[in-house]
Amino acid sequence: MPDVGSWLLGWAIAAGSAVLFVIVIVHLLLSLLLIIPSWRILARAGYAGALSLFHLVPVIGSFIVMAILAFGDWPAGEARHGAPQGEGERR
Amino acid sequence: MAELTALAGLFGLSGAFALVGAVLAGWMAWRIVEKAGLPGWAGLGAIALTLTGIGTVVPLVLLWVFAFMRWPRDEQGMPATAGAPRPLAPPAKALPDRRGWRLEGGGVSLAFDESAPIYRLTGGPAAEPTDLVVPDPSVGKPHARLLTAANRLGLEDLGSPGGTYIDGARLLPEHGPRDISAVRSIRLGSVELVLCRV
Repeated sequence: MPDVGSWLLGWAIAAGSAVLFVIVIVHLLLSLLLIIPSWRILARAGYAGALSLFHLVPVIGSFIVMAILAFGDWPAGEARHGAPQGEGERR
Repeated sequence: MAELTALAGLFGLSGAFALVGAVLAGWMAWRIVEKAGLPGWAGLGAIALTLTGIGTVVPLVLLWVFAFMRWPRDEQGMPATAGAPRPLAPPAKALPDRRGWRLEGGGVSLAFDESAPIYRLTGGPAAEPTDLVVPDPSVGKPHARLLTAANRLGLEDLGSPGGTYIDGARLLPEHGPRDISAVRSIRLGSVELVLCRV
């Protein structure tokens, strides 16, 4: 007859693994909702879109992506404040 | 009681972290949308919405809108229609190169052009008008063939014992004609001939 304690332990590990798997899948799907627009924003700013994969880092991933965009000089150029639209290239 | 105190402390710590995170996110969002040319308060407002009952769905939608909308920054980068310099006319097509070819070296200067499709390089006396004579014992009779077509020049070895070389590389009869339009020199036997356009 199998030991009840071992059986319970095995059941708990299996259940925990399943829950963890579901959590990871949900995290990946939710991250995807952030990664896609962030990829485009980073690309338009002139950065590599792959930097948006930082969203996969739990908790601080979004902050990393935002910090790159907020405090880095955009290689593709930033808006010039005070310049009317369409006047940017006039001399 | 102790458990309640610990729980309150934990909540307070989490609340402090959440507050710092929200402020930091709002500040960064302000800077990001300003760089795109939008008013900074729009980014701050989007982050502030996460603190309300709306939750994170609306800010997520706003993120997608921000990613795919037209940014005023892009408008600034475009040249104005009025007064903008006119674009340059496309370059004219290159004129066809009508120049001939010349082989110089070993005391001879052989000039030819595309008036004949095939010339024969030989060490003996010229039997035909298209024979180019290189009077040297190491040059075969005939030695090689020059082919002209479409502003290009080809060379084909005819199996003479002296050998034919293109920029130092041996050309054998089984190689067939090789394009030598861009080479610097050829060698027939022991005679080095420099190729140039004339």
